[in-house]
Amino acid sequence: MILINCPYCGEREQSEFSNGGEAHVARPKNPEALSDKDWGQYVFYRSNPKGIFYERWVHTHGCRKWFNAVRDTSTDTFLKIYKLDDNRPDISEFKSTLKSPSGEPSVGSGNFAVKK
Amino acid sequence: MRKKYSFLSLIKNAFTNNENWEKMWESPDPKKGYDVIIVGGGGHGLGTAYYLAKEHGIKNIAVIEKGWLGGGNTGRNTTIIRSNYLWNESAHLYDHSVKLWENLSEELNFNMMFSQRGVMNLAHNEHDIKEMKRRISANRLNGLDTQWLDTKEIEELVPIMNTKNLRYPVLGAAFQPRGGVARHDAVAWGYALRSNEMGVDIIQNCEVKDIQTDNHKVKGVNTSKGFIKADKVAVVASGHTSVLAQTAGVKLPLQSRPLQALVSEPIKPVINTVVMSNAVHAYVSQSDKGELVIGAGTDGYNSFTQRGGYDVIEETVRAIVELYPIFGKMKMLRQWGGIVDICPDASPIISKCDVKGLYFNCGWGTGGFKATPGSANVFAHTVANDQPHKINEAFNLERFSDGRLIDEHGAAAVAH
Amino acid sequence: MSAINNKNCKYISQVEIKITFDGKSYSAFDGDTVASALLRNNIRLIGRSFKYHRPRGIYTCGIEEPNALVQILNEHNEPNTRATIKRTYDGINISSQNRWPSLSFDIGSINNILSPIFSAGFYYKTFMGPKGFWKKIYEPLIRRTAGLGKPPKNFRSKSIHQNHNVDILIVGGGLSGLIAARKLIDTNNEVLIVEQDCFLGGILKNSNKVKSIDGKNVFEWVNETEKLILGSKNIKILKNTLVTTYNFTNHLIALEDKFVGKKIDTNKSELTLHKIRTTHTILANGHIERFISFRNNDLPGVMLASSFEKYIERYGVAPDENPVIFTNNSSTISLVKSLINLGCKPSAYIDSRNKNDIEDETKDYLSKNNIPFYPESEVEGCEGNKKVEKVYIRSSNKEISSIKASMLCPSGGFNPDIHLFTQSKGLVKWDDKIISFKPDTAFQNTITLGSVSGNYKFKDLCSEINKKLSFLKTNELNLEIETNIRDDFSIKELWETKTNKKSKWSKSFIDLHNDVTTKDLQQAINEGYDRIEHLKRYTTNSMGTDQGKISSINSLGIVSKILKKKISEVGTTTYRPPYAPLSFAAIAGRSTYEYYDPERKTPIHNWHIKNNAVFEDVGQWKRPWYFKKYKTETMHQAVQRESKQTRQSAGILDGSTLGKIEIKGKDALEFMNLMYTNAFTKMKPMTSRYALMLGEDGMIMDDGIICKINDKHFIATTTSGGAPKVFAHMEEFLQTEWPHLQVYLNSITEQFTTFNISGPKAREIVSKVFSDIDFSNEKFPFMTFKTFNYKNTQARIMRASFTGELGYEIYISPQHALELWELIFKHGKDFDLVPYGTETMHLLRAEKGYVVIGQETDGTVTPIDINFNWMIGKKKKDFIGKRSLTRSDTAREDRKQLVGIVPLDKSQFIEEGQHIVECENLPSKIKMPIEYLGHISSSYHSPNLNHCISMAMIKSGNKLMGKKLFVSTPKGTKNIPVEIVSPVFIDPENKRLTS
Repeated sequence: MILINCPYCGEREQSEFSNGGEAHVARPKNPEALSDKDWGQYVFYRSNPKGIFYERWVHTHGCRKWFNAVRDTSTDTFLKIYKLDDNRPDISEFKSTLKSPSGEPSVGSGNFAVKK
Repeated sequence: MRKKYSFLSLIKNAFTNNENWEKMWESPDPKKGYDVIIVGGGGHGLGTAYYLAKEHGIKNIAVIEKGWLGGGNTGRNTTIIRSNYLWNESAHLYDHSVKLWENLSEELNFNMMFSQRGVMNLAHNEHDIKEMKRRISANRLNGLDTQWLDTKEIEELVPIMNTKNLRYPVLGAAFQPRGGVARHDAVAWGYALRSNEMGVDIIQNCEVKDIQTDNHKVKGVNTSKGFIKADKVAVVASGHTSVLAQTAGVKLPLQSRPLQALVSEPIKPVINTVVMSNAVHAYVSQSDKGELVIGAGTDGYNSFTQRGGYDVIEETVRAIVELYPIFGKMKMLRQWGGIVDICPDASPIISKCDVKGLYFNCGWGTGGFKATPGSANVFAHTVANDQPHKINEAFNLERFSDGRLIDEHGAAAVAH
Repeated sequence: MSAINNKNCKYISQVEIKITFDGKSYSAFDGDTVASALLRNNIRLIGRSFKYHRPRGIYTCGIEEPNALVQILNEHNEPNTRATIKRTYDGINISSQNRWPSLSFDIGSINNILSPIFSAGFYYKTFMGPKGFWKKIYEPLIRRTAGLGKPPKNFRSKSIHQNHNVDILIVGGGLSGLIAARKLIDTNNEVLIVEQDCFLGGILKNSNKVKSIDGKNVFEWVNETEKLILGSKNIKILKNTLVTTYNFTNHLIALEDKFVGKKIDTNKSELTLHKIRTTHTILANGHIERFISFRNNDLPGVMLASSFEKYIERYGVAPDENPVIFTNNSSTISLVKSLINLGCKPSAYIDSRNKNDIEDETKDYLSKNNIPFYPESEVEGCEGNKKVEKVYIRSSNKEISSIKASMLCPSGGFNPDIHLFTQSKGLVKWDDKIISFKPDTAFQNTITLGSVSGNYKFKDLCSEINKKLSFLKTNELNLEIETNIRDDFSIKELWETKTNKKSKWSKSFIDLHNDVTTKDLQQAINEGYDRIEHLKRYTTNSMGTDQGKISSINSLGIVSKILKKKISEVGTTTYRPPYAPLSFAAIAGRSTYEYYDPERKTPIHNWHIKNNAVFEDVGQWKRPWYFKKYKTETMHQAVQRESKQTRQSAGILDGSTLGKIEIKGKDALEFMNLMYTNAFTKMKPMTSRYALMLGEDGMIMDDGIICKINDKHFIATTTSGGAPKVFAHMEEFLQTEWPHLQVYLNSITEQFTTFNISGPKAREIVSKVFSDIDFSNEKFPFMTFKTFNYKNTQARIMRASFTGELGYEIYISPQHALELWELIFKHGKDFDLVPYGTETMHLLRAEKGYVVIGQETDGTVTPIDINFNWMIGKKKKDFIGKRSLTRSDTAREDRKQLVGIVPLDKSQFIEEGQHIVECENLPSKIKMPIEYLGHISSSYHSPNLNHCISMAMIKSGNKLMGKKLFVSTPKGTKNIPVEIVSPVFIDPENKRLTS
């Protein structure tokens, strides 16, 4: 189980937290002005990258505070954790830990990587 | 069909020391271009190639797989097959699949070991009962064979189950006798074997890096073996579909989550049906080898690591130890994870998109295996005719704009 | 040739115990494993193989055992127990597995005769027809023959979990682990050592390979080290504990057996599952010997060389006096020395290496002791009836000769035990020197030491450990390690030996557990299964309970030869956790049965029990479903009685499970306007309102009553099951979307116990209970509330109703709840007050046409669908979900809408969940889907109307009022004729509510 460093409580097991999906997706200020398609984009569409992902977490079984994180979804490594009112860190701050564009080695099965 | 398998062919080969078996499929280098490129060599992708060649006369096809055939979710699931979905659209799609399953071994002359041992969904509270009775009635009107079982009938079918002495007693179950399990790898292999026979190129260890488009029209794909031209590109890459879609400028409403499963050590048969429990997130069946195959829940965050949280395994094991008290003396042999792509309404997408010649078959969440033949069949139709089959019309991308969702959260066996 | 007792073994007592195997009693020593005990008694045949039912014996001396799985009859029939690690005790009762009728005569062995037909993947190619045969004939047959052990008996474990947070975890208390530990003694690091055996020492106790350390014999050195560790302030040791799982962020799972070598006391925790969090993990878990494939390499009597040596050194028994040793490396000479020390002698020493590569010391030692020596030779195969009798040797000149022997000990080299390292997602690489994979790049804070890192040189060990642990800034430790073998490990690649027999039945096994032969691998590759994962799945190679621990690298070797590729290019299959089979009971721990999930009870719970309530589970809550007035009263009778009495006089419901959320702050009004569909701006203080909460998709998520104290203070109720979700939903939007709003949320569900009194006599009852409150309609109108003090606690009474009757909802502090409840009953007696449960609540609200979230709604229903247009604050610019209500599909007029339904024949009953159709009858077997308009969401027999009333969600329901349609029945073909009516069956004018 991965550990998450809650900015308010410190490192805790992931099961204490709930994930809130992609971060920095602001609710439209004037929903009525949007087309069905654009509104649908806001309600149902979230990016799903393999690699660097800006996401939200809430410390459900702790302080109940929401916060943001940058995580590499190909390794589940947290690259940065920051409070909601902190600025969105620039992507250039992070180096993805991906080994290849998709992460899997060209031989082997995916879970077990062999170094050539 | 050139390579015929039967008991006789086994005897014949036994005499020649099993040294003369033919290759089931070739591993060619990719050609410069194809009519259709299918990205993803799992069951859905290989099946799509098979039906395109067989039913639509398109044979200049390549199936491109970044790893090995059937190495994604086709080889990682708990092999459950059923069609007892609530909404008409889903029931029709999944039952189309079950019907194809019923003849697939014979059709492909490759034994899928589709075993119609029945699938049981347990009810643990009054709300479950109401939901299931509604589903059974809807299923019945859709021509499906789902029925209600009371506790006594459950105990007769699954004597090792503890129905009373547990925190959430078993109050009944919805049971679909035509449901069951199949040998997961065989599906990929069978489709590979027969589509390759019809001229489909199966290219393994070749990664599609991006989809090339020009003026909203597909041009081909860039791969680790170079650029390959194509008139049509059909993406069936489960957890990685949205990553690929992005390269063509298409956004899909998918989230990729870890889903875990485990097996026990093999024992003599104790459970001859499939038992699923939504309330306690555990489903169990026993393979022909004797291993108990157990499905766990999804994790609540996106991940491509094929590794879920240990707490999810613990949750599931807690439930099965209570539900089946003999598990108190059994052991977990293996545990693994897959990546499932989940749609907001827990229903798949089998659809065209804004880019001409680009098609997606994705969003199967935790339940894609059962749909393999049906999904492949209607997807082939969609790709060949550039318009959906009646059965997959509703599973389009527009539903996320107009609101015509097919909300199957209740039917998915695990909480999304 | 029989077993010899090694009296010098210090790890085994010479105290005799009795054990039973397959019904026969045998003597063993306290400390024996099942395997060592059976070997001591010269029992070599111990089980039957999985597929061909071939006779099998004990192959190894540890966790890697592929063959010797037994059932422990006196431990709830525990199946598939490894004989090589299960310790015996006096009275243990063991049985062999997978044989019928007996171990020596097994009918299933007919499969061996048919084996040429049962080639790799045979089941994919047959059993396909005729239709129905798979289900009825083939599969039941296959299932019966498959499986291994018999099912165990029901067992409720008392196993527990224990958490550890340490700086350093050392996996393995062998030589490398102990050197590392000695370096860490009395440092600032908190260290935990986990050792699977009950003795420390690893290779020092399991073999004869190390002679001395710093001049001390190894036993003394281990003892000294253990004393130093136990005397330290910072290092703990867990013995009999096996690390099985290596998760992300250095989280490891280890299982401790608390009853090693003892009869289990089922009143105690027999297993402890350790969950270990570390900063650094030191893997010092050693290596595993691999075998060599040759003809009949599965016969009982074939045993890995290092395992044979371990039986002598660790368990004090040499399984045979004169085994044949077959090796491709320099390690096996220590086994010869062990045997000579016991006065035994190998009958042959066969070394596949070139004569010049074989160490001079080895050659000298063999000739000095007159041991027949076959350099540049190999074992072609062995034969015998259920045991090794003859060994065939192919000499350097390719001639085959045979010798008599009853045991044969192959050694194919060693694999660093990288299972845990790869579980941690570390990268491995191929090493030509040791001919195996070894760890390369760690993914986590993982350090590998000793043979698991691929270092087989004892002389280099200390410098390796000093170097790798230098970041910890501990003292250097340099030990003089003297060995019985040449320290420079030498090996020649050899995976299988070719057989001279051309028989179809001749077999060289690559996976003993799953009966996979080298021929199967060749065949699978011929058929196109040339990816290593395909091979594994097609042949089932390395998918057994041992997960191919002694054979997986061998299969890579064989495959690479066939494919003419390097092994590193072939790749390897995935190592999946756990390292060894892990008890389900231990994973589950104590939190099962009554501890599975908390039971939430209201403060009135005990009263309900006393009054014969039948409970239902609503989420974690236990809620009274109905009350039995007398013993034989059925649920139907009780519900009819409760409902009738409530409408005639008064009823009371324990509504404490309702979620309650307090919303306070400067911007509370604005927040509430955004969260709910309703408009709260014009709502007067001290009034309440029924309200709906939507998701952003426009679908109803929850409902409740909102009490407005003023613009800065609201109290909301939620459904019982929806409380956590609603609270989280509010918090989310407050924190992430509207942090500028000054609003504070507080869950007060447990702070107030809630009673709902309703019925025509409700006013009279509450007036008696709260005599200082004016309950008159003028002073206390419908949908208003009053707050007051009750015995120095806050209390609130709201005039609201979920039954359609005059009703009051009382919110009271839990400490006074029960006494108030009883006081209400004291006064209520005169007014025929009845307690009712959830079922009656549902019935009463259905009569009134009120919806239940989760019953009428299912996540696809908008407020408009249930005729709640009036609840949408249309003038509000925005609220959550508003925009979704105008999408083309949600705005459709033919959506499913809420209606009431009554049967035309008032004696008929409509079942919930059934569907509304246009046809009178259904075919007995439905082949083509039948169109339906919607479904029955609620249905009850109304005691007040004396017929069935139903609520339904049906297409264009609003336009179908008065229409005659049909409702299906669960099984029948004749549908029930019904009429579509308004869903409000009682008091549509709301007279009862408002008077």
